[in-house]
Amino acid sequence: MKNIEIGTARTSGAGRVTGWLDLADYPDGSPMRAPVVIVTGVNPGPTVWLHGCVHGNEYCGTHIIHELLRSVDPSEMSGRVVALPALNITAFNAGIRMSPFEKYNGGDMNRNFPGDPRGSLTQQMANAIYSELKQHADYLVDFHTAHTPDVQWALYAALDGTVAETGERMAKAFGYHDTLATPPDMLAGSAMMTAGSDGIPALIVEAGGKGPAFLKNNVEDAAERLRNVLRLLEILQGDVTDYGPIANFSGFDWVHASRGGLFIPAVACGDKIAASQVIGQYYDIFGAPSGTAESPREGTVLAIHPGPLMTNGETLVHIGHDPRKD
Amino acid sequence: MKKIEIGTAVADKPGLTTGHLNIGATPDGNPVNTPVMILRGAEDGPVLWMHACVHGDEYSGTFTIHSLIRSINPADLKGTLVAMPALNLTAFQANQRMSPFEGFNGGDLNRCFPGRENGTVTEQIAYAVFGALKEHADYFVDFHTALTQDTKWTLYADYGGEVSEKGARMTRAFGYSSTLPAKDNLLQGSAMHSAGKAGIPVLIVETGGVGAAFTHEAVDAAAERMRNVMRELLMLDGDVEDYGTLNYFSSFDWICSPHGGLFEKTVSCGETISKGQVIGRFSDVFGAPVAEAHAPSSGIVLAIHPGPVMARGDLLIHIGLHPERR
Repeated sequence: MKNIEIGTARTSGAGRVTGWLDLADYPDGSPMRAPVVIVTGVNPGPTVWLHGCVHGNEYCGTHIIHELLRSVDPSEMSGRVVALPALNITAFNAGIRMSPFEKYNGGDMNRNFPGDPRGSLTQQMANAIYSELKQHADYLVDFHTAHTPDVQWALYAALDGTVAETGERMAKAFGYHDTLATPPDMLAGSAMMTAGSDGIPALIVEAGGKGPAFLKNNVEDAAERLRNVLRLLEILQGDVTDYGPIANFSGFDWVHASRGGLFIPAVACGDKIAASQVIGQYYDIFGAPSGTAESPREGTVLAIHPGPLMTNGETLVHIGHDPRKD
Repeated sequence: MKKIEIGTAVADKPGLTTGHLNIGATPDGNPVNTPVMILRGAEDGPVLWMHACVHGDEYSGTFTIHSLIRSINPADLKGTLVAMPALNLTAFQANQRMSPFEGFNGGDLNRCFPGRENGTVTEQIAYAVFGALKEHADYFVDFHTALTQDTKWTLYADYGGEVSEKGARMTRAFGYSSTLPAKDNLLQGSAMHSAGKAGIPVLIVETGGVGAAFTHEAVDAAAERMRNVMRELLMLDGDVEDYGTLNYFSSFDWICSPHGGLFEKTVSCGETISKGQVIGRFSDVFGAPVAEAHAPSSGIVLAIHPGPVMARGDLLIHIGLHPERR
């Protein structure tokens, strides 16, 4: 395969190289750099781009990427894996979702792609990443998560033509049942939808739970599912496991809490819920029950706030709905 | 029945009274008022003082206090429970260990007791709380935790005389098998230290796990152990359950991490470890193993860093030394 260069990571034929991609500068002038790993197969083939920690504290993705990278052998690969396991590096180091150096515009990197070289810090970082992604990636898998260890769903860019078609095949090969076929008007500014609109089939995997709230078997299971995607794309050899049908939700609701208080959830990820069903109980600061949270609609729980504390406006529940009937 | 007055909570008859104690003021001039609960029994008796969230994100204690207080019928209670379930309120709200308004001196409230009337933000909190505690408390239980769900140990002030004797009885009635009889050169500035020096028998319970990392089963189990402490102190009727022999430590080792990196622990709370044993593994941001962490001494694991990321100097492990079973 043709050699490539991403930051200081330069390939030289088949094998594995590491390096750093400069994203921005710290106030002291030293670089904010994201780690890059490139594994190049002996045979030619497509390039899959993987990244984790677009939201800095979603470490499960870092570990899934590491687990995958440790398990692949360049001598058995046709194509290439490019991985940025700790993308939003200053947020990664700080243990928070967004860069602590971002002072404007919210700083949610997954709303700022493709970025802007003259924009805010997060927009500049997004630009530095996306220009490489666009140049090198044939496929994108982006790792995210929500709060709890049982988070287990996926999204693909359901845009025109082969992007939707290939995205759906990747989602099926990954095989989480709860999957959203993301329509064109949703999640603008995400790496997934930006890549999709540039013709790059793209999948988001939501796995594990943020911070330390994930388990080793979440990581190992997701890495095996990722290998299945690589088999589908013929980067790895072997039969593609059939994990069965996927839900293909056509929409999701992101429900914000309308009140604060102590909170204990009453549902878990993957649960089917009905409209008006109680999904959690609020307590006041003295421990007295002070109200319930109800689901605004029927659907499947994709993410639920674990408590123990809630502030107005926090994400209470994330519901997938209207699965495609086929 | 003599009136008990703590802030706006004024209790002069059996039942639950709630109110707030002023512990500071925010820059906009609004008061910082920490919640106070007073549960008086039908019969007079001792005052057991409990507080939680001296470290703001240790919510397991808040729920343990709520579970306990909500389970007791005042008709069955001899004496009074006083509780501050969310003591370091601004840290509690911010989901962090220390008050976000503290600009100096680290702000670890459990190193600032008995406090100072004209001291720093945190010293003033300690002063406001300790004045009331010293005035009212006959016994004191302080709820804390470490990082992981399996955190489960106790400490009591072993300063001689009645403080030691009653503290040891409370510890046995609570019954976690790992316990440290703390000498008065340990944890100076803790509420335990100040209370013990003032002649109040005192127990610290470490239970649950920070933030959302605890279960409500663990909370209810800890509340039942508290009822056992209350039976031991003759505040509730009934036989005192014997939880069996405990491991008493001579002291503890508190080890800070010699490396920064990704970290995966290989031991859990309550495990017996020997000096030199591997307790976890560090890998770099590319996923390559870089070092092992070794136990600096033999003993029982009281707390261990859950990973997945570690800065140099983070608390790696907390070990109870020279366990003696009796």
